[in-house]
Amino acid sequence: MDYGAIYPELILILFAAALPALHWLFKSSRALASISLVGIAASIGTVVYYMVNGYPDVIGNVNTPLLGFDALAAVFSLVFLSVAFYVVLASAMYIEGENHLAEYYSLILLATAGMMLVASAYDLITIFVGLELASMSTYALVAFRKRDKRGAEAAVKYVIIGAFSSALALYGISILYGLAGTSNLEGINAALAVQGTELATLLAIALVIAGFGFKVAIAPFHMWAPDVYEGAPSTVSALLASSSKKMGLVLMFKIFLVGMIALKADWDVVVGILAILTMTVGNILALSQTNIKRMLAYSSIAQAGYILMALPLATVVSDYAITGGIFHIITHAFMKGGAFIVVAALAYVAIGESISDYKGLGKRSPFLAFSMTIFLFALAGIPPLSGFMSKVVLISASIQAAETTQWMLWLGVALVLNSALSLYYYVRVIKNMYVEKGDSVERIKLPVSMAAAVAICLIATIGLGIFFDPVLELSSEAAKVLFPTLMG
Amino acid sequence: MLENIPILSLLILFPLVGALVVFLMGKSDKAAKYTALFFSAIPLALSILVLTEFSLTGGFQFEEQYEWISFLGISLHLAVDGVSITMVFLSALLVFLAILFSWDVKERLNQYLALMLILDAGILGVFTSLDYFVFYIFWEVVLIPMYFLIAIWGGVNRAYASIKFFIYTHVASLAMLLGIFALYFTTAPMLIENGVIPADAIGTFDMLAIASVAGGLGEALQIAIFGALFFGFIVKMPMVPFHTWLPDAHVQAPTAGSVLLAGLLLKMGSYGIIRICLPTLPTAAVDFQIIMAVIGVVSIIYGAFACLAQTDLKKMVAYSSVSHMGIVMLGIATLSWLGIAAAVFQMFAHGLITAVLFMVCGMFQHKTGTREIPLLGGLAPKIPILSTVMMMGFMASLGLPGMIGFLAEFSVFTATFDTWGLWVFVPIATVALTAAYYLWAMQRSIFGELTDKIDTSKLHDAYWFEIIPLAVLLGLIVLFGIWPAFVMDLITPSIPLVWPLGVI
Repeated sequence: MDYGAIYPELILILFAAALPALHWLFKSSRALASISLVGIAASIGTVVYYMVNGYPDVIGNVNTPLLGFDALAAVFSLVFLSVAFYVVLASAMYIEGENHLAEYYSLILLATAGMMLVASAYDLITIFVGLELASMSTYALVAFRKRDKRGAEAAVKYVIIGAFSSALALYGISILYGLAGTSNLEGINAALAVQGTELATLLAIALVIAGFGFKVAIAPFHMWAPDVYEGAPSTVSALLASSSKKMGLVLMFKIFLVGMIALKADWDVVVGILAILTMTVGNILALSQTNIKRMLAYSSIAQAGYILMALPLATVVSDYAITGGIFHIITHAFMKGGAFIVVAALAYVAIGESISDYKGLGKRSPFLAFSMTIFLFALAGIPPLSGFMSKVVLISASIQAAETTQWMLWLGVALVLNSALSLYYYVRVIKNMYVEKGDSVERIKLPVSMAAAVAICLIATIGLGIFFDPVLELSSEAAKVLFPTLMG
Repeated sequence: MLENIPILSLLILFPLVGALVVFLMGKSDKAAKYTALFFSAIPLALSILVLTEFSLTGGFQFEEQYEWISFLGISLHLAVDGVSITMVFLSALLVFLAILFSWDVKERLNQYLALMLILDAGILGVFTSLDYFVFYIFWEVVLIPMYFLIAIWGGVNRAYASIKFFIYTHVASLAMLLGIFALYFTTAPMLIENGVIPADAIGTFDMLAIASVAGGLGEALQIAIFGALFFGFIVKMPMVPFHTWLPDAHVQAPTAGSVLLAGLLLKMGSYGIIRICLPTLPTAAVDFQIIMAVIGVVSIIYGAFACLAQTDLKKMVAYSSVSHMGIVMLGIATLSWLGIAAAVFQMFAHGLITAVLFMVCGMFQHKTGTREIPLLGGLAPKIPILSTVMMMGFMASLGLPGMIGFLAEFSVFTATFDTWGLWVFVPIATVALTAAYYLWAMQRSIFGELTDKIDTSKLHDAYWFEIIPLAVLLGLIVLFGIWPAFVMDLITPSIPLVWPLGVI
């Protein structure tokens, strides 16, 4: 059998396994980071090779495959790998001098492999394996600074919530399996289409929404996220917000659109309401935050709400809505990740995490202040930055859907109102950086690797705003994978 | 000769390049100033070049179109007609003069000038683009430099004012965005049917293509879309009751920021109504006629009364902008060719006049340390140039015949009379009010007895870099006041294309 479909993951896993051994040879964080970067680059190379030369065969029975590396998997793999790349780059100096360096990088690679597995899964079992691989790795990463009280507390919360939500999701998945008699997503859909809605199906939908809702931090299952993002090392927060959360979203895309599209009438309104609730709750709670990481965590919740909007919209305008969702996932990976890396870089030079600590930053580090400004403006959706473009596709999908299904206009209106609301807390940070005078005027010296990580995100955030045609087409191609009937 | 040069793209590109260059110049203030002046002079020169080559036929000229995002049907479509070239010239001129006027700014000068140049590019983009998407991007791009200009170089309460400005106008823009998308999707089937865009396209953002079929939309839908766009535009103008961001922003903004805010940013709102709302959704415009007229007249009256109550010279000028932009709105509301042309003329006139007024306010602040009218007084003999300029500016603004403001207002009122008859006396009555607040303010600030609040020993009259911009502006105010045909001939042929229904 051809295992080409998991080569990108295998490469990461090999490097992850080798890193602790290599730690005997290389002691420095920089060397280990470089090795990890090689692994990530090799994996990226494989993905790009597949994108250019055609995708490998699926793994498993051809009619009920376990997983396959398709356009969707490729796009998401690239997102996860790029995030891993800049997170490792920023970590090289950030975690220098701490214990268990090799394990740290190893865990990042494993988490990324798990997420990629989820993105290429066609089967509930594969999904669950990938999900747990990613979750276990991130639990340990959050606890990386185990002597830090906040970190330890965050890790415990994350593990308990994570385990609980996995159990809920697993329960839902098992009911689906019981109803359909198969764990293959398309098979489930076919079976559900025949059976129609039963009480058990509704229970399964509720459990799946709750279980994965916790993972993605959808309101009202979001309470853990700010605590965990705040307590984790900032580089890990970047990973959580930019890729772990996105894994949850692609998972929901797959389960709802491939596995349960036959039951769309049962879940579209519920998911729509949750999307509006999530963006609104996220933005309102972000308004009063004084800690920047908590603020970014709440803003991530809001952004997940924007992306979640694509699910109900997809029941009407199919792949166009998901194109918007995927595009926003891509842009968000860089703008939010970049913001967290800036926080990490500033923490590295001993600047606190309170928003008031950022006073006068415009003078102390023009580069970081400028980058942060761009990231925040992009998050708020100010043109011509990437966040604006991806929101535009989502809004336009909502208006297009509203032509036939009127209530869907409210999704777009909610997004617009929320964008306006969010501007307030983003601008507050910018105001602190440029308008307020800080206590110190000393220039900040930044390690090259961190500056490079910020620069990657910066270039992507500006570039995706101006030259987004190819990425949009890629997202569109990836979105079509979720709608097999369109492919035929 | 000019056919092969993408002159409008260059018009937008040069300030952007200039912004980058000036920003990178860092420490050298003197070099930054000359460079900024140079890069703002290029659009001015180019706009004059366009004016000399402009044929008075009314259609769009100097058209350029480049594919940008074919997936969504977005292209960089630039062109000017009589309405937009007037605004382009005004923009290029005011930015150039505002940079000259900022000659003595010292704090973070390179950033300040770079922001002004970005603003220049954004505004020129708004006035030249014929693609909704690009239009929206330029529209929002204008916000950011203005936010920073107020937030960094503004007065004591700048943080509050800048955020208020940003959020008010951003919310309005988002409403406009919804309206744009509604147009985009609802016109797509008709455009596909007419063969304007290919059958597999999602739609197009081209203004002219959309305007060619939008009349076929249902009336209720037209009204809804018109409402969303109209809301976006009147917050920017700003019209009562959405004007409250304006006094705050103006009082806190640095002088050059105020000049551009009142001179150009407000015009974006009325330009949007004229360029987008009227030609695209004429049926809805007729339905909105009374609403537009009422909003316009209320703004005229409210602005004038608010002026009477102000003690801060700058705040008074800010409220007078609300009043004068109300006249623009009234001109548009007449939905007659004369009224709309007069509205554009009033936009141009107000741009020149208000620039003078804000420069005068800035100079008062600079030289005497205060703008509070009760603290000033008897300054005319001490600072004769500034006082003369103030007098001329106030006279122009209250509509003294022989100056540009008189003709603009007179034309609007003529059109109002043609449409609503004697109701015209409601807005005309406020002209007396306008005269009252200007004369009263002048009397208290430069004539009468000297107060002991101002240290006159160090009082310095206008510097060269203040005199030149003011002289240019006042020269144009008088020139076009005596010879309005130059501007009117430019505008008038384009109006039938903007307002296809003719006189209602």
